[in-house]
Formats: sequence, structure tokens, C-alpha cells
Amino acid sequence: MKRLCLLLTLPLFPLLATGAHAASADAQPALRASTCSVRGLMDDLRRGLGSGSPSYQRYLRTLLREAAVTLPDAELRDAFARETDPVMAEHLAAALVARAEREADPQAMDVVAQRALQDVDPAVRAATLRAMRRTGALERTGDLYERMVRDESPQVRQEAATNLIEDNAHVYAGQYGPAADTAVTAAVASSDPEVTARILDNLSTEKISAESAERITSLLRSDDASVRKAAVNALGGVPAEQMQGARESLLAMYREEPDEGVRKALLQSVAQLGFDGAIADLQRLRDMDPRLAREADAWIQVLGMGLQEWSLLLREKQRLQQAP
Amino acid sequence: MHSSTWKSSLAALAAVALIPASVTAHTVKGTHTGSVTALTRYSSGTFHGAVDIGSGGRCNYWGAETGVVGSVYWAVTIRTSGVVCYGSGSGNQNEARHVWQSGWTFRQWHFIKTADSRNRTCDRCQVGNIGGTGNSTGPHAHLQQDKLGTKDTSWYQGYVSVGSSVTRAKTIGVLD
Repeated sequence: MKRLCLLLTLPLFPLLATGAHAASADAQPALRASTCSVRGLMDDLRRGLGSGSPSYQRYLRTLLREAAVTLPDAELRDAFARETDPVMAEHLAAALVARAEREADPQAMDVVAQRALQDVDPAVRAATLRAMRRTGALERTGDLYERMVRDESPQVRQEAATNLIEDNAHVYAGQYGPAADTAVTAAVASSDPEVTARILDNLSTEKISAESAERITSLLRSDDASVRKAAVNALGGVPAEQMQGARESLLAMYREEPDEGVRKALLQSVAQLGFDGAIADLQRLRDMDPRLAREADAWIQVLGMGLQEWSLLLREKQRLQQAP
Repeated sequence: MHSSTWKSSLAALAAVALIPASVTAHTVKGTHTGSVTALTRYSSGTFHGAVDIGSGGRCNYWGAETGVVGSVYWAVTIRTSGVVCYGSGSGNQNEARHVWQSGWTFRQWHFIKTADSRNRTCDRCQVGNIGGTGNSTGPHAHLQQDKLGTKDTSWYQGYVSVGSSVTRAKTIGVLD
């Protein structure tokens, strides 16, 4: 255990030195003995959170997560179960999640997920959700997110949405269909339009299933314009097999759509689904709404350039519309 | 596999101070205990564009750990099912890969299939044992970052050189 303590203490040295340099250039901070228990690490963390140094706080959070694989499982779980301060609960939850992610304790994620579902304090539920962000929680927690986006607390619902967005982007890079499908299912299950719209506006749908595409299509009939707009955006990026159905749904929607912002999104998604093959469709849509004639013209012009990547098309359209 | 939890835990703790502060960069640690046997060019001068970590001839002994720090999804492809230490033919290497949002792909090759060889999200988990499947003259791990056929040789520059000792605490490079 002494070796472990030494390793825990040594990395503190440069950070402590940074914090102390103003006091005296000559006085070197002494190495400080550090306890290796869960309680000791939590004490360090509490002190660190009050230090005012973001770097030191980040270091301590990393230290707790990295040390998690060596900490006694029962002690860590007990500390997490007893902790009612959302900030500390988040760090302890992150340590448990780290144990699961390092495959030291595959069941540790379940403990955190249960707390996220059942704690009476919405701040703790939100904190435990944050602890699962950018991890494999989507693969291991069943219908957790479908339930969390229906939480009575708006903060919890938004944290769940953030997890779904960031996990899909940073853990799976938008390349894992089941993760995107989980996000779509949660977006549709939520009765909070802000949550539904936020998830769909920020999700890569390039690997979603046909069922997910259908679920998104059903949101085109939403009463909320932001949800309809997000659904339109999401349908613009569906896989090749679902492109034709998405295109037909969007074209059929344009005539009856009352909201200008949604119509603008419809033009973009039609362009995204068809590239230069969408020019004829866009020319027809152009004449339906004079307010969006310039927008349609911009798309028609950009699609006519023959660019082969969506990001390049977006950039060119932006450049065109910024030009004096 | 053959490496005690105690040892790897100590290694992880010792490595803490080296983890970069950026939330987007991912440090890459050693996959097993060994040494760097090839980097951008083989000793013959032929382009290689990746990090090879040998295992001192030990085959099917060390667990092949994904070295990337942080939770990412690993797609594991098994092309050779048996225990192979000295090559099973070009293109037949077992592979764990992660595709980044930028389109770059990080790959780990040549490990031997075990019960751990499956797709999943994890933070430094084992995907097999160090071996020599595919185009290999001996057991080693090949770590490569590429996009559209171009290999990135910058991610390990300045962190290791040929002959460097490697443990799971050793930083091999940093992926932005």
C-alpha cells in the first residue's frame, strides 16, 4: 500500500508547485503524504474543489477516476450511496463509471444508472447522468435514456439529451447505428419539445435504422415548429436506403408547412438528400414561397457547382450568402 | 490475462500525471510490456508509418490492451481465429479500430483472438492477446492512425523511438 500512496502523491508535486510559486520562489513545497482510501481521495477532492484552480480540480477528478480501478469496490459504492452533495456524488459516480469502463467492475454502471433513475434530488440525478457522459453507458443501461428524457426535472431531461448527443459524437463518431437509434428513440419518447429538438438537431443520422427514420418522419406532424424543424434536419442525413422515403416525406410537407424556418430547413434537407439531383425539386419549391426564393436560388446555385461533399456545399452556400 | 490487476493499476496511477488536460485529445498508452521495434520507417528504410511494439518473442502471453485513454467504441474484426505468432498472411491480421469524428481511424493489429475479442466501448480494455496474425514476422502490436489511405506519423513523434521500453503506463503518443 505504501507504493500506491507514493504514486498517488508524486503526481501532485508539479501542480502544488504551480499553486505555491507566488508565495516564494525559493521555498519548494514538500511532498505530502496522501491517504489512499476512498475517504482520503474524497477529502483531497473537497479541498481541491475549493482551491480555485481549474487545473488542479481537473487533475483531482482525473486522479479519482484513474485511481478508481484500485479502490475497494464496496467502500466506493457505500460512499456513493451515502453522498448527497451533487458535486461529490458526480465525482464518485464518475469513479464507479470508470471502474465499469476499465472493466474492473462491469456492474458499477448499473449502480450509477439506478441512482440517476431513483434519487429524489433532481440535482443528484442530473449529476449522476453527467458522470456517464462520453462513456459506453448507451450500451449498458437499457432504456435508461428513454426514461430520463421523461424526468419531471427539465435539468435532468437536458442532461440526458446532452449525454445522447455527446456520446454519439465523441464515443461513436456517429458511426454506430444502435447508439443513434437509442438517441432517436429517446427523442421521440420525450414530451419536452426542447429536448426532442435538441437531440435531433445535433445527431448524426447516417447510420440509423429504417425504424428510426420512420420515427423521425412521424415528428414532421408535431405541433411544435422546433420539433418539426429538427426532424427535417435529421432526415436530411439518413442512410442511402432511407433517402428516397425521406425525400418524398419532405417534399410532401413543404406545401402545407406554415413556418418559414421549417421551410428553410426543408430546402436544406432536400438539397442534402439529392445534391445536384435535387435542383429540379428546389426549382419547383422556389415558386411556392416568394419569401424563400433567395434561399432556394442559393441552394440551386451551389448544387450546380458539382461539389461532392456536403461540408463543401454548406461552406459554399455560406460564402455566397455572405458576399456583398 | 497474465498481468495482474495490481500491476496494471499501479501503472495507471503512475500515468495520471501525464494525461493531457485537453478534453478532445486522447493519450495512447502501451498495449503491453515490450519495446518499440519500428516507427515511421523500418530499419531497411521502407515506409511503415506506425508504431510497432514487440513483446520480446513472447506470444499469446500478454493481453493486448487498447491503449487509447478514454472511452471510445472499438470495432473488432477477426480474420484469423487460431493462435498465430509468426504471420498468417498479409491482410489476415486481427484488428481493433476506432473511427474518430474527423474521419481518421486508429487501428491496432496482429493480436490473437480470445473471448475478449468483441466490439464494445471501453477505456483501455483487452481485445485479445499479443500475437502475430496477418503480415507479421513475430508477436507485436501495430498501432496506426490513417485516413483515406494516408498514415498519420505525427501522433507518436517525440514520445517514443525505436528501442524504447514500453509498459501500459508509457505514453506512446497523443491523438488530437
